[in-house]
Amino acid sequence: MEESPLHQFELHSWIPISVGGLDVSINKAVVFMWIVVALASVIMVMAGSSRKLVPGKLQSLAEMMVDFIRNMIMDTMGKDGMRFFPLIATLFVFILFSNYIGLIPGTYTVTSQIIVTAVFSCLVYGLSLVVGFWLHGAKFLGILVPPGTPGWLLPLMIPIEIISQLARPISLAVRLFANMTAGHVMLAVLFSLTIGGGLLIGWLPFVFTVAIYGLEFGIAFIQAYIFTILTCVYLGDAFHLHGHEEHAH
Amino acid sequence: MPPPQDPLYAGLGQAVRIGTELLAALIVGGGLGWVVDTYLFGTTPWGLVIGLVFGLAAGMRNAYRSAQRWQVPSDNVDKQE
Repeated sequence: MEESPLHQFELHSWIPISVGGLDVSINKAVVFMWIVVALASVIMVMAGSSRKLVPGKLQSLAEMMVDFIRNMIMDTMGKDGMRFFPLIATLFVFILFSNYIGLIPGTYTVTSQIIVTAVFSCLVYGLSLVVGFWLHGAKFLGILVPPGTPGWLLPLMIPIEIISQLARPISLAVRLFANMTAGHVMLAVLFSLTIGGGLLIGWLPFVFTVAIYGLEFGIAFIQAYIFTILTCVYLGDAFHLHGHEEHAH
Repeated sequence: MPPPQDPLYAGLGQAVRIGTELLAALIVGGGLGWVVDTYLFGTTPWGLVIGLVFGLAAGMRNAYRSAQRWQVPSDNVDKQE
């Protein structure tokens, strides 16, 4: 009997812990989250410790990554956005590492748990609201009225804009979670077809497994990139309220 | 790690964004309508219907907006305010 392709996402508590009725058991996802954090910190600290003028492999990888994140922030938020560099870089590195670690057979993809991505997206969206109200006060509610809207359209535009604002954290969370989950389900289905198909026909799904695995490498990066760039865009919207005129992008 | 500035990946990134943009707004619109129906006024099914229509509009708006943002760097000239 083959196991379900969704079996890989099931979590069983390894060390049951309960704090005041709240289940905080240690399970696979928690352990892999620790591994991601540890690995990311070790690699980035090691890369940052040498500081040679002519960088080694690790250092140039880290420099490339920092440069990439910096460009992303500058393009979407401008100079003010650099205040958020630590947050955005942390998000990017965490998501990137957990996506890639999840591609190693036998491991667990932390970002395939919707609660993980939902917490990130709510944090980002909540922060953008805080920043917006902090900087603009009640005028920040003007984000619900696109510039140049005629008065008689307001009853129609405001509900639409409220929904489109509320959709932001949801689309952010669902996109990352769904892409990671779908990729791993697809790999599991194709590979179980390979096992079940035998030698005669099994090579066909195997070829697809390898091809999709290659594609997943791209997806892992793209999803980390999209999550981070949208973080920048949302924070930037809070920064420059309708501020398209002040930065040329 | 694929080269970040690769236009293929930038394009692919844009493409996978728009689909969820539509879906998420539809979920929020429908969800709000359903909540209004079930818990607030008992106006089944009108809240859901209107919510879905607004959700669809908001989804279109979000998708349009993200596509627009993509286009702007190439031609700043006919940028609309």
